[in-house]
Amino acid sequence: MKKPIYIFSDGELKRKDNTLFFDNEKGRKYIPVENTSEIMLFGEVIINKRFLEFVSHSEIILHFFNHYGYYIGTYYPREHLNSGYMILKQAEYYNDKDKRLYIAKKFIEGAYKNMRHVLKYYQNRGKNLEDIICCIEELGETINSVISINELMAIEGNIRGAYYKAFDKILGNPDFKFGIRSKRPPKNSLNVLISFGNSLMYTLILSEIYKTHLDPRIGYLHSTNFRRFSLNLDVSEIFKPIIIDRVIFSVISKNIIKKDDFDGSAEGLILKEKAKKAFIEEYENKLMTTINHRSIGSNVSYCRLIRLELYKLEKHLMGEQEYTPFVAQW
Amino acid sequence: MGIEVNGSLMQSYTICERQVWLMAHQIIPDQDHPYIEIGRIIDNTSYDRERKKLNFDNVVIDLVKNDKDNFLIGEVKKSSKAEKSARMQLLFYLYKLKQSGILAKGQLLFPEERKKVNVSLTDDAESEIIKAIDEITNIIHKEKAPVFIKIPYCKNCGYREFCLS
Ligand code: SF4
Repeated sequence: MKKPIYIFSDGELKRKDNTLFFDNEKGRKYIPVENTSEIMLFGEVIINKRFLEFVSHSEIILHFFNHYGYYIGTYYPREHLNSGYMILKQAEYYNDKDKRLYIAKKFIEGAYKNMRHVLKYYQNRGKNLEDIICCIEELGETINSVISINELMAIEGNIRGAYYKAFDKILGNPDFKFGIRSKRPPKNSLNVLISFGNSLMYTLILSEIYKTHLDPRIGYLHSTNFRRFSLNLDVSEIFKPIIIDRVIFSVISKNIIKKDDFDGSAEGLILKEKAKKAFIEEYENKLMTTINHRSIGSNVSYCRLIRLELYKLEKHLMGEQEYTPFVAQW
Repeated sequence: MGIEVNGSLMQSYTICERQVWLMAHQIIPDQDHPYIEIGRIIDNTSYDRERKKLNFDNVVIDLVKNDKDNFLIGEVKKSSKAEKSARMQLLFYLYKLKQSGILAKGQLLFPEERKKVNVSLTDDAESEIIKAIDEITNIIHKEKAPVFIKIPYCKNCGYREFCLS
């Protein structure tokens, strides 16, 4: 399996003949081209066109993050897997109001069920989440009856609002109070972790989309304007609760990330490099965790589940099999 | 759909109709799949000295060498398990060559097993190929992919997770 490479330090990415390496005052580090699926750039990094050419040729994606650890953008090499057929199908389902709404609802249904799953898990461990779960379930039941994307987004917003209220009860840690959801920049430590984690999720799904025949610019829930990627935002709704939120709960409850892992600055809070690395380690472990997959008939990692989700979507677009979202069950 | 039958479609045809349709619609299999990797490596390393590529009527022929007065085309394969499909692919090339007036003989090469199999375009083989081309064309023009039916080959197929998901 190809793996992502994370670069936190400052330096220069270079190509020499058919090799790639990262240069800085600490020395030179080679990047194993054959085994690298993407490069995640957190540090200040200099690159040139020769480098980009080689990266494109090797089908390696580059994801850029700013100083605060938030996603800036992606260098998405010209699609090597291109199926005109699939792009037409994707557009057809976008243009047809009912077809689009069907898929959008499925994404929200998946998000809702997975959020509920996370809450139920903590309820079984003695957290008092009864009221919140009830509230989410009531909202969840209305998903099927909405008739527009806007209405659907509104329900999703309400579900998420209730869901985030549960974080304080689950964590019970005064250093990580939720407050209100703040994004750019996040106002408190918990929000910093959520934004950081979600950025990782968006890029991972984008990388997986790159290995399918789907066009990441055509989303169903998040509208398409062809200037930015949106399908990855759609699909990440399903996986954020069961991957990112669980990583957040675990780094906080295991004391892997603590209050003093954040630096305040004029513009917001920054997660220190050491803590970013610790978060990523926990996240990568989560992605490698396997579950038994009934239809595949073997163990499948969370990371692979994302790819299967995209395959399911492709099959829906091909008119083969109605898409149903992945819902955690154990 | 303006898709022409080529050697890989012919090869898929002997395995699975669904694979033919998917491939023709450029839904190519999982590139991380280990079998595809192995195929590529063998393809890139064996018979290097004699190796030539002939680009011919939408078909890339793997190996061409001059054997006395005959043209000889070869197909390099990982294992003779896939002999039937490799044979069909080779016959297809021979058929295409014949149509442009080149008579050739074929040989299947299995470097790992040090095995060679001669293949020639007999009358029977020719009608078999013509029939196969017809059927492949029909499959490709179907609006939907042939439904997934599990077969033993699925285990080793690059489409496995796609079909099973
Ligand atoms: S997995 Fe099986 S059904 Fe699917 S394309 Fe491969 S051989 Fe055909």
